[in-house]
Amino acid sequence: MANKYTLDELLIITASREIHDGDRVILGVGLPTTAGAMAKALHAPNAILMMESGIIDFTPVVPPNHIADANSCRGFSYATDLFSMFTMTYRGFVDVCFLGVAQIDRFGNINTTVIGDYLKPKTRLPGAGGAPDFMSYAKNTVLTMRGGEFVEKLDYFTSPGYLEGGDSRDASGLFPKGSGPKMLLTTKGVFHFDEHTKELCLAKLHPGVTTDMVRKDVPWNLKIADPLAQTEPPSDVEIDFVRGFAPTESVGRKLMYQLGVENAFKKAAEKGKG
Amino acid sequence: MADTISKVMTAREAVSRYVHDGDHLVIGNYTVGTCAELVFEVARQQKKGLTLYSQSGIFDVEVLVGAGCVDKLMSTYVYRAGGKEGGSSVERAINAGTLVMEDYTNFQYNARLTAGMHGFSFMQVLEGPIVTDLYKKRSFMGEDKYKMITCPYTGKQILTVPAANPDVCIVHVQRSDKFGNAQYWGALGSVAAAALASKRIIVSCEEIVDHEIIRSSPHHTIIPSFRVDAVVEIPWGAHPTEVLGYYNLDRTAYGLFFISDMTADGLKNWMDEWVYGCPDRRSYLDHYVSLLGAHALDVIRAEPYYSAPANYGSAYSSCWDNENKCRTMGITREELEKIMQERGLLHG
Repeated sequence: MANKYTLDELLIITASREIHDGDRVILGVGLPTTAGAMAKALHAPNAILMMESGIIDFTPVVPPNHIADANSCRGFSYATDLFSMFTMTYRGFVDVCFLGVAQIDRFGNINTTVIGDYLKPKTRLPGAGGAPDFMSYAKNTVLTMRGGEFVEKLDYFTSPGYLEGGDSRDASGLFPKGSGPKMLLTTKGVFHFDEHTKELCLAKLHPGVTTDMVRKDVPWNLKIADPLAQTEPPSDVEIDFVRGFAPTESVGRKLMYQLGVENAFKKAAEKGKG
Repeated sequence: MADTISKVMTAREAVSRYVHDGDHLVIGNYTVGTCAELVFEVARQQKKGLTLYSQSGIFDVEVLVGAGCVDKLMSTYVYRAGGKEGGSSVERAINAGTLVMEDYTNFQYNARLTAGMHGFSFMQVLEGPIVTDLYKKRSFMGEDKYKMITCPYTGKQILTVPAANPDVCIVHVQRSDKFGNAQYWGALGSVAAAALASKRIIVSCEEIVDHEIIRSSPHHTIIPSFRVDAVVEIPWGAHPTEVLGYYNLDRTAYGLFFISDMTADGLKNWMDEWVYGCPDRRSYLDHYVSLLGAHALDVIRAEPYYSAPANYGSAYSSCWDNENKCRTMGITREELEKIMQERGLLHG
């Protein structure tokens, strides 16, 4: 019997499979960097991993703490600055980028800035970061959502998906033709975008999830692919990689810090303060 | 002309001399190697009414906003401790009406400093975000947050942002000489642009090194001495964040901050203990070691992984060879002067 996996692990593994050998990939912190490390180790050894801080062609040996973490790799091939990283994307040299989502609408437009009113926020989220520019100019964008929500109307429109749907993105003349989000990965399934309407469409269900469980999260009549596929379950090799490489990614940041602080004080008590 | 005046001073002196109430202050570091001790010192000196620029407002911005130093925040990204149920001092201050924030994208924020660094009045940025609320919703920058222009060559509509020239930059680097030739390597981010756009620059560093070390590795120098006002040597000056080649992020110390920052009271207690309770970095480290042991610092010290030296050598360092002959013309200085005399080239 295959090993059991957490939903975070499944998400990382599913994201990792979207990286192909030779791809030039922009990785955000957390899930994407672990997905990138796994791709390099297991199926895409020639992928070129990049972070927007200007760290290019790196192979992480531990999960990066953030997108400027050169301590997570032993050297890298090209040290450039943030400005050049984005102009490189603008010129079309980035194949795929991974972005996290707090709110997403029917056409893959994204909010990562605020829940509630912009000036009196219910929840102030991290913000734009590099997302709007990457989502504008990377050839493909893979969106990941953990704990976010599907909404009819975004509280704040941070990053452009397919705008009003149909050909509105291409017709705007602002973006490279054919660019835009390629898929959305959540803890329940994999969504694609309809070729013509550019609407989100459920393409794969994760093992053990039903369409009803997905529909109840979505405030519109969700399109469902026919036939609907099931996400390939993670292999033992993949699960073993994630847990070995990034045990902290399997548990989430809050629990990571709680356990870390507890055990550091315990260790100090045992060892003495010297 | 080379700088010959030492600018070495303490963090207290540097901040007291070069950071003023009401300044536009930019944190030069981007996520990594935060100038933590300089940030703490600004908080300790209770500077007021700052407009704070931060490429990625995490730990550092949380502390300065939590300390009540900041009226306006210019950033692209803010910290949130503890996910949905958690919080941040930025969120609390916005809701209390004591802070206003202007949101840009990473590139746009960097572009404002890059324009300022080069002396331009604006910078072209990527046009995609025109369709988003970044463009439509404007805070204290108002009309001047963005403007559109027509490219004079292609006729294309171009999105622009105005240049930024902050009053003062605080920045932490790996090493510097005492004159302020500051060397930084790793994730370059927007560190050089933030510093060079600014009118005054305070550099803190892990170590002050001989000028000769700087001369032999100029590709690491991101700020030249003549732009720098103060140099402060602060080992562990970025702790609990990391400095490449020196130490890793301290997950225990960062975790303590993270857990505290979820609530206003938690952050206040943390600040009382770690910022106001420690007059300088030495006492901060003593406090840390008294709680967690010296061992806790030892385990995050970087193992060496040296960059291969780049050979800056050349064939010779004088035009005259061992026989005192000019390497190009093959004659001695006396022979040369004789020829110049003969040909009527000498005057006076």
